Amino acid sequence: MSLLSSQRTFPLLARNQFRVSLRQMQFKQGWFMRIVIAVMMVYSAFILLTLGFFFDRFSIQLWPNTTPVDVVNRSLLAGFVSLFFIRFLFQKTPRMKITPYLHLPLQRRDLILFFQSASLMSIHNFYPLLFFIPFWMRYVAAEGPLSGHLMWISAVCLLIVASHFANLLLRSTLRHRAGLFYIWLSLFITLAFIDETAGIGLQQRISEFLFGSILSGDFTSLALLASFMGFVVVASTVSLFRSVKGMGEASAPEQSLVRSFDVPEEWGVLGQLIRMELLLMWRNRRPRHYLFVSLLFSTMYLIFMLSTGGSISAAAFAALLGLFASGGFVLNYGQLMFGWDSTHYPAMVTRNVPFHEMVRAKLIVLQLSCLLLFLASLPLFIWFRPDLVPLHFAFLFYNAGVTTILILELATRNSQRIDIARSGGFFNYEGFSAKHWLWFIPTALPPVLFMQVLSGSPRVALVSLAGLGLVSILFSRGWTRYFARGLHHRKHSMLEGFSSRES
Amino acid sequence: MRVELNKIRKIYGEKIALDVPAWSLDDGEVLGLVGSNGAGKTTFLRILLDLLQPDEGSVRIDGRELALDTAWRGRTGSFLDRSFLIEYLTIPEYLEFVGATLGLTKREMSDRLGEFESFLPLSRVDQNRLLRDLSTGNAKKVGILAALFVHPEFVVLDEPFANLDPPSQIRLKDILVSMAAEPGRSMIISSHDLGHVTDVCGRITLLESGRIQRDIKRSESTLADLKDYFAGEDVSSAT
Repeated sequence: MSLLSSQRTFPLLARNQFRVSLRQMQFKQGWFMRIVIAVMMVYSAFILLTLGFFFDRFSIQLWPNTTPVDVVNRSLLAGFVSLFFIRFLFQKTPRMKITPYLHLPLQRRDLILFFQSASLMSIHNFYPLLFFIPFWMRYVAAEGPLSGHLMWISAVCLLIVASHFANLLLRSTLRHRAGLFYIWLSLFITLAFIDETAGIGLQQRISEFLFGSILSGDFTSLALLASFMGFVVVASTVSLFRSVKGMGEASAPEQSLVRSFDVPEEWGVLGQLIRMELLLMWRNRRPRHYLFVSLLFSTMYLIFMLSTGGSISAAAFAALLGLFASGGFVLNYGQLMFGWDSTHYPAMVTRNVPFHEMVRAKLIVLQLSCLLLFLASLPLFIWFRPDLVPLHFAFLFYNAGVTTILILELATRNSQRIDIARSGGFFNYEGFSAKHWLWFIPTALPPVLFMQVLSGSPRVALVSLAGLGLVSILFSRGWTRYFARGLHHRKHSMLEGFSSRES
Repeated sequence: MRVELNKIRKIYGEKIALDVPAWSLDDGEVLGLVGSNGAGKTTFLRILLDLLQPDEGSVRIDGRELALDTAWRGRTGSFLDRSFLIEYLTIPEYLEFVGATLGLTKREMSDRLGEFESFLPLSRVDQNRLLRDLSTGNAKKVGILAALFVHPEFVVLDEPFANLDPPSQIRLKDILVSMAAEPGRSMIISSHDLGHVTDVCGRITLLESGRIQRDIKRSESTLADLKDYFAGEDVSSAT
């Protein structure tokens, strides 16, 4: 069979992708969530535009002796690293979109080129421009030669595109070598930490030099950026080619994952359920990455937070610190506690597995994770901020008692299927919808408000939070019954949701 | 176990997936569910296992409403598809979990699994292989074994013979015939294999377009009658 020409392939794919996008927009979210998301998008667009147009009014207060352009120039590299991090959490790779077309008489080259290009139509690429374009028009255009202005905005665009493809490249590479990610990330955080705490400011100096020279019309710096972008575009495309080539080939089972452990027979079905929760985490790609990322949040990220000295003076900030230090896993992984079971939920609900035992096992795992993360991050608190150790203790109880309950409340309402073993992107948030991100707000708000209101007497605040958590832990049996009733009530809607695959 | 369906209706859009005014399965009865693709067999079984909520009507097991009572789960062994397996577990881990749900000790489990050695010789399978790495046929064997080794009072199997190699089909048929002979056990087996169904089941329910067309006791002419029926079927009607 002859393959379809590129001229016919691209319009065909464009039409189909348009239909898919339209369908996703129609069915993926309810009206309430659509309104909430729309409001948030408009709000953040407004913030970016305002910042872009009136940057001097903000920068003069923080950096009175520096021009807005200099402030932005020296922050650009750090800004793009942050953008890259956000992309890493949210952006999806085009790999899985290509799969349904592979059996059709279409050239793989066309498929890859189309989906690589189409992936640029992402909010992550357009939103930064809402700040940069007005900033460029208002401030950059007033400095340096015309060629310099044009080169400066081109450099910003090049960096956005480079950040886009670098993310695709990283995700594609990590599918096969996930261990590398942790090494690189640890190295990066350590270097950034040294740069920040030792007062070297190397990153800022490089950024200022690079963008300052571009603005003054130095073509070499722009060429350097263009080369970097070219490299990541080519590398990510080649990586996608390789990845697509390997699709459909049977992969050897990962024998290292088969390690197991026994639970005492007397623990009955509860022991089996706890063991299954732990095996699920270990033997499946997606839950495993959630686990590692939570550990990273509770250790490496904490180093940054704790080492920034006086900046953690605000009570609200301290509350967030306490929440994530021991509750990072609960907040990340816990929301999908039942979604992880979606592919085999019928196996659970047709067997003699009482809902309250299912909930109990999950609650125990979540509460234990708080204790483990507490222990993992305790040395960091002792080393950097011994004065915050009481806060860490108080939030151990609060997270184990209250945060777990709030998160399970959402988890029992999640009916989106997650194919836990499917080898999608490295850090795929399938099953994690806007609702889940928004749930961080009511989860984080009570302790933040509490700490804020009682900021005059922090000891009272911490004792109260710990007490609240302890009382809630003591009422675990009651919570278990409550969630079991909810699961029984929502059983059919969950089964229906879990059985429908994402388009 | 006595199972009753009363005024069950399940509708998807404008299509009636299942419409069963009244149907029952008596204690010790072994029933074969047959029908073309899209006839409503799987919908029937999913409603029976409380995996799907009917739009109207109710299912009762031993007089108790299925949706309100969970005791039936401890007396039922079922396997419809791979979602009944927990695919990140190994075969022994999965069977251990199933046994634990019924409070079986490891010793009891080992004894009961030994009865099925001819169907799935556990001593010869790779103990370290995750269920997701098994072939469709072997995964199905594990699912069927998990449904049967607990000696359930009520067995529900969907297409148990499909994807199995001929020796396994023969052994499974023998196992089902011998289990059916034990008093007090009710079984529902849905299958496209008319020969196997008529060999194992004493009663046949024929579904078409979500409605029961025939509900007959097996006789010597049943297989021929069913073949004649399906030979004259308009296949396009089912889709």
